Amino acid sequence: MVDAVIGKSGIGTRQNSLDVVFRAATFFFAILVLVILFGIVVALIDGALPALKQFGWAFIVDSSWDPVKQIFGAFPAIYGTLITSFIAMLIGIPLAFGIAIFITELCPPWLKRPIGTLIELLAAIPSIIYGIWGLFVFAPMLQTYVQPFLSDTLGEVPLIGFLFQGPPLGVGMLTAGIILSIMVLPFITSVMRDVFETVPTVLKESAYGIGATTFEVVWNIVLPYTRTGVIGGIMLGLGRALGETMAVTFVIGNAHQFMTSLLAPGTTISATLANEFSEADTPMYLSVMFALGLILSVITLLVLAAAKFMLIRMERQGGT
Amino acid sequence: MSPYARRRLVNTTVLTLSFAATAIGLIWLAAILWTLLQNGITAIDFDFFTQDTPGSGGDGGGLRNAIFGSLIMTALGTVVGAPIGILAGTFLAEFGRGNPLAPAVRFINDILLSAPSIIVGVFVYEAMVLRMGHYSAWAGSVALAIIVIPVVIRTTENMLNLVPGSLREAAYALGTPKWQVIVFITYRAAMQGMLTGVLLAVARVAGETAPLLFTVVNNQFWQGVAMDAQMANLPVVIFQFAMSPDHNWQRLAWGGALIITFAILILNISARLLANLRGFSK
Amino acid sequence: MSTDASVTPPEQGRAPAFTAFRADGGAAPTHAVALSEAPRPTEAATPAPPEKVIVRNLYFFYKKYEALHGINLALRDKRVTAFIGPSGCGKSTLLRILNRIYQLYPEQRATGEVLVDGKNILDPGVDLNLLRAKIGMVFQKPTPFPMSIYDNIAFGIRLYEKLPPAELDERVESALRRAALWDEVKDKLKQSGLSLSGGQQQRLCIARAIAVKPEILLLDEPASALDPISTQRIEELIGELKTDYCIAIVTHNMQQAARASDYTAFMYLGELVEFDETEAIFTHPKNKRTEDYITGRFG
Repeated sequence: MVDAVIGKSGIGTRQNSLDVVFRAATFFFAILVLVILFGIVVALIDGALPALKQFGWAFIVDSSWDPVKQIFGAFPAIYGTLITSFIAMLIGIPLAFGIAIFITELCPPWLKRPIGTLIELLAAIPSIIYGIWGLFVFAPMLQTYVQPFLSDTLGEVPLIGFLFQGPPLGVGMLTAGIILSIMVLPFITSVMRDVFETVPTVLKESAYGIGATTFEVVWNIVLPYTRTGVIGGIMLGLGRALGETMAVTFVIGNAHQFMTSLLAPGTTISATLANEFSEADTPMYLSVMFALGLILSVITLLVLAAAKFMLIRMERQGGT
Repeated sequence: MSPYARRRLVNTTVLTLSFAATAIGLIWLAAILWTLLQNGITAIDFDFFTQDTPGSGGDGGGLRNAIFGSLIMTALGTVVGAPIGILAGTFLAEFGRGNPLAPAVRFINDILLSAPSIIVGVFVYEAMVLRMGHYSAWAGSVALAIIVIPVVIRTTENMLNLVPGSLREAAYALGTPKWQVIVFITYRAAMQGMLTGVLLAVARVAGETAPLLFTVVNNQFWQGVAMDAQMANLPVVIFQFAMSPDHNWQRLAWGGALIITFAILILNISARLLANLRGFSK
Repeated sequence: MSTDASVTPPEQGRAPAFTAFRADGGAAPTHAVALSEAPRPTEAATPAPPEKVIVRNLYFFYKKYEALHGINLALRDKRVTAFIGPSGCGKSTLLRILNRIYQLYPEQRATGEVLVDGKNILDPGVDLNLLRAKIGMVFQKPTPFPMSIYDNIAFGIRLYEKLPPAELDERVESALRRAALWDEVKDKLKQSGLSLSGGQQQRLCIARAIAVKPEILLLDEPASALDPISTQRIEELIGELKTDYCIAIVTHNMQQAARASDYTAFMYLGELVEFDETEAIFTHPKNKRTEDYITGRFG
């Protein structure tokens, strides 16, 4: 017993060195993650510097886009990114909320899993599929039925009419926003569903017990209890919407112009990158591409930071 | 209207709307899948799998080189990315306690996880394509690996954390060295979940277009496993063909869309089945 | 203040009688009672077995909190020592020091000496893996590894020995036999360990622990998660195993301690209050707190 324990026998030492090797390997690859992010940041900044130096801060608000004359402005792309994501959230959040309520409160138990899976399959469909479906099926449909309707009705309403002007092209900001909303829907729904189900049954039952309706229980008990998770899910969806490329590229119309109407074509940062990155034939053009990528990364990072900040604040206030 | 009646009305309205929302979601899914089937099924024939991508203005042809290229790059991206992700996730779960690096890695991983995939493409362009002087399947695979890694890290860490501490203690109590506890006991207990995570990562990268757009781009011809050059792949082919006015190309694009979607759906459903399998070694 | 723990050798020729605490009030004799009824000629001739584990001045800390205050006791070889006491008294903590499993958690530390065969195992130079291979532990909750029944047993053996398959088979079988599990699993060795019932899983864990031929066995409430029948079988098992091992068992079940052990240590709030032969503790405890606990006035 004694000699097996004190000091190191042959077996013991070899195992100890294997322990060290294994730990080192896991450590190395964990650090790799940091290196990758660092690399991305460096690559973006490095590539974007010439353009940023050339155009300065005006780059963000300028709308011109002339590859021949080498004059570029990021505003239409930034605007398009923000607006399409906003529309996506505007439509997607209520829809996700509705689906989450349905699955957790209304649905018969045997149906929960299948419906949940089906909704999650929406997330599995590659974005390029959304793109071609949007271009060949959805856009023509919008062009024929919805857009004329919108410009005829809402286009006439005083305060918001300017949003619905212009000829029905099928493609455009609104179309892109709607397609995006379907794409972010499953992510938000899935998170909402998961957090809704963590609400203790006793809590809900005590609300039902005093005669609250289902909606009242959800609005007053479930939602406040799951605030943190819901916000997290929404931020997740927003992050996806901002960076989504292929679906948007097909249906946004790819016009570097700033128009107030949602029915007009426009562009987003990622759509611009998708379409023009390979076409960038001058160093400045390429640098502009990097600059756009940098701006998109900054926007996404800001959203992520805001989400984490909100979550931390909520946790301090005693949410879930 | 009495207050109670109003409450009931609100309730009924909301519940009806939520039912409608679910219906809308399901209808979208059905519409997309139906369109794919309708437009794509006509393109699926023997030639589809045996012929390479045709030139424009032609007739017939297939997507053999694109399918093959996608398989190669997805496989390579997974083979490289999954082990890295598993080991890094192991670091977070098994060695991370007390180590200040662990929260940093987790945070960075969260960022990478939500990074737009097109940014990954831009990065690999600068890091590899510019340096090598040309597009290549290596660059495409690396871009896919970079997308796989954060997904696998997250799922691996979660699954390893679910393994009860008592199981690890029982292994240590036998005198098992730490690396063996992790590899032979903890991994085994978490295997089901970890594999599910890898499957989901594969399903995710199989359909990615943006990271391939400026790393490997496309290739009209078949060049086997020549990794140092541009290689055909399904997503980019679909992109180029669908956007073109060529009818033959559009036909093939729909066919490609159909098979890629159903391949990914099958991967997803398999992952789910695997995750819920009872009686697997837990 | 706690009485100084002293170890007294069992009185020559006097068999311990556990009748005072038999819950069944005189039904079929338990193994322990059978032992007590049998004549013990050798007891008069042989001295008490050697002290296998000597604990000296042991203190234990969770971060700044002192959980064990200066424990001194000894565990004799080939005997069962039970640790009893109310929840939180430190009995499990003490057990987990003996195989240094607490070392997995950086915020826990121990000072003092734990001598096993004369060498201090708390010494930093000690190889923990080798130590734990010689000191087996069975936990409260059965923890079969996620592998076949055969592999569960073979895993520990394979760690330190390279055996030809036939010999490995023998070792596995013998471990399962000693754990009274062989007959129930011999036809399904390839099935997952998780497919067994709770009581069977715990016996599997015991088999796993003894398969690597340890010298000391630590049992942390091994039957508390099990039904009464499985509990009884485990207690019988312990009685059989003690002929080969030095056994320490933590239990919150006093009757179990009375039935199954030779020595008992009563702990309270991190201190060793009394340590004596089991029969002595349960029939005439020296300390008032011990008496209060045993008679159910608290805990």
